[in-house]
Amino acid sequence: MKAIIQSQNLSKSYKGFLAVSENNISVGKGEIYGFLGLNGAGKTTLIRMLLGLIKPSSGKAFLNGMDISKHQPLFWNRVGYLVEVPHAYPNLTVKENLELICHLRRIDKNKSIDPIIELLDLKDYTNRLSKQLSLGNKQRLGLAKALIHQPEILILDEPTNGLDPAGIHDIRELLIDLSQNKGVSILVSSHILGEISHFAHRIGIIHKGRMIDEFNTNNLNELCKKQLLVNTDNNEQAIKLLHQKGFSAEISMENEILIHESKVILNPEGIAQMIVSENLKLKKLNMEEENLESYFLRIIKEKEV
Amino acid sequence: MRQIVLAIRAERMKLRRSKILLVTFGLFVFIPLLIGLMMYVAQHPEMSAKLGLVGAKAQFFSENSWKGYLEIINQLIAVLGVIGFGFITSWVFGREYIEHTLTDILALPVSRSSIVLAKYLVVLFWCLGLAITLFLVASIMGLLMHIPGWNLSVFLNFASNYFLTTIFTILLSTVVGFIVSFSKSIVAPLGFVLLMVIMAQFTALLGWGSYFPWSIPGVFTVSNSVEGMQLFPVSYLILFLTFLLGLFSTYAYWKYADH
Repeated sequence: MKAIIQSQNLSKSYKGFLAVSENNISVGKGEIYGFLGLNGAGKTTLIRMLLGLIKPSSGKAFLNGMDISKHQPLFWNRVGYLVEVPHAYPNLTVKENLELICHLRRIDKNKSIDPIIELLDLKDYTNRLSKQLSLGNKQRLGLAKALIHQPEILILDEPTNGLDPAGIHDIRELLIDLSQNKGVSILVSSHILGEISHFAHRIGIIHKGRMIDEFNTNNLNELCKKQLLVNTDNNEQAIKLLHQKGFSAEISMENEILIHESKVILNPEGIAQMIVSENLKLKKLNMEEENLESYFLRIIKEKEV
Repeated sequence: MRQIVLAIRAERMKLRRSKILLVTFGLFVFIPLLIGLMMYVAQHPEMSAKLGLVGAKAQFFSENSWKGYLEIINQLIAVLGVIGFGFITSWVFGREYIEHTLTDILALPVSRSSIVLAKYLVVLFWCLGLAITLFLVASIMGLLMHIPGWNLSVFLNFASNYFLTTIFTILLSTVVGFIVSFSKSIVAPLGFVLLMVIMAQFTALLGWGSYFPWSIPGVFTVSNSVEGMQLFPVSYLILFLTFLLGLFSTYAYWKYADH
C-alpha cells in the first residue's frame, strides 16, 4: 500500500537532547494510525516535523509520497491538522475564525462553514468569541479548522483532549467515517491506549523519542498477557504442589497464586482438578487479562529495563 | 501576488474588534492636541505663569511661528514613530505568539513569505494611517490657533519632510519584526525599541547620529545648519540596509527556524 504519511529515519535533537530518534512510520490510504506515548515522549515533535513546522536533525518526512519541503503551498490544502492545545483568535467568534481559515484556504465560506459547525456540534456557539469557549468547545473549533476543507490527510495531536465522553465518542465515530468512507489517511496521537485502540488500525508506541512497539489493533488482545489467579485454604502447600508438577507459579502481593504459563491459561480446569485431588479447598480460580493501559505501561517499563 | 493579497485580507480580518487599533489612533490624535495646547500656551505668555509645569514646558516652544510648530511636529513623528511603529510591529507579529495561533498559519496554501510580507504591509498601512492622522490633527490645530507666519512653501516643505521621516521610521520596523519572531514574544522587541530610542539620543549627542539607523530619522528632522546633524548618502544607505537586513532575517526565520 502506498504510504500517504511517512517518516524515514526522522530524528530531532535539541542541544544534545534526543526528542525523536530515527522514527519510521507509514500510514496508508484510508488508514488510521494511532501514535501513543506518555507526555514528553516525542509525539508532538514528530507531528511538527511531519507538518514542516520544525526541521528534522536527520531523516525525511513525506506526505503523499513527496518530501514535505518540496511541496508547493497549495498542497497544504490537502492536509488538515491540529497541533497540541487548539488555539484560535480570541477576539473573533467561532464563525469568524472559520471564515479566516476558509479565506486562507481559498474555499467558499458559504458552503463550508455551516456543515462543519453542524458536524462538530458548534451551532450554539457560532457567534461566541473563541476566548469565551470551554476547553472542549475550543477543541471542537480546532477540529473544525482541521476538517473544514475536507482534507485527504489528517494529522491530529491528541484531538480528544478536553472533550467529554460523548464528545470523545463523536470524534471517534467521525474519524472512523472519514477513513472508511472517504479514504482519509489519519495520524492521531494520544497518551491513552484504551481510547486510541477503539478506532486506530495500527498503533505505534513511542517512548523517550524511540519507537518501542508497533502492532495491528486486531492483535492487541493476543499481546495483552493473561494470568490465572488461584486461592486455596493452604496456598503454601498448593504452590509446592504446582512446583512439583513443573508449573512456574508465584505468590502475589495479595497472597494469591499467580500462574502465567500458556498451557495453564489454555487449560485452567486441569489446575482446579490437581488442587482438589490433593484435598485442598479451592476458594478462587480466576482468569485475568491484562488491560490495555497495563499493557502500555508494561511495554514502556520493559524497554526502560 | 494573490497570496499576498489573501494574507493582507486575513490580517485585516484578525483586526476585527481590535482595541489596539483604536488605542493607537486615539493616541496619535491626542498627542498633537497636547502639542497644540502647549503651542497655545506659548502664544499666551500670561498663561504660562499660571499653569506651572505645563507653562514651563510650553517655554520650549519658543519660536511662536508655523515654522517652529512644524519642526516640533516633525521631530515628534521621528521619536513617536520609533516607539509607536515599533509597538505596532510587535503587536502584528507578536499576537501569533501571544495567542498561540502561529501553527495555524504555517502549513497553509499561503506561503510563509507572503504572510511575512503581508504583515509588514499591514504595519506600513497602519503606521501611514497614524502618521496621516497626526499630520491632519496637527495642521488643523495650527490653523485653529492662528499661529503666525503661515507660508505655503514652508508647509509643503514640512509635509514632504514629515512623510519622509515617517517612511524612514517605518523602515526600521523590520528589525523589530525579526526580534519578535526570534524571541517569540513582544517583551524583547519593546525593550529593544526603548533601548534604540535611548541609543539614538546618545549617538546623536556624540555626533554619530548620521550613522546610527535609529538616529537617522531624528537627524533628518533637524536643520542642516546644526553642527553634527547632517545626513550623508551613506546614512540613507545604512537605513536601507537595516531595512533589508530586518526584512530578510524575518523571512529566513519564518521559513527555516523551528516553530
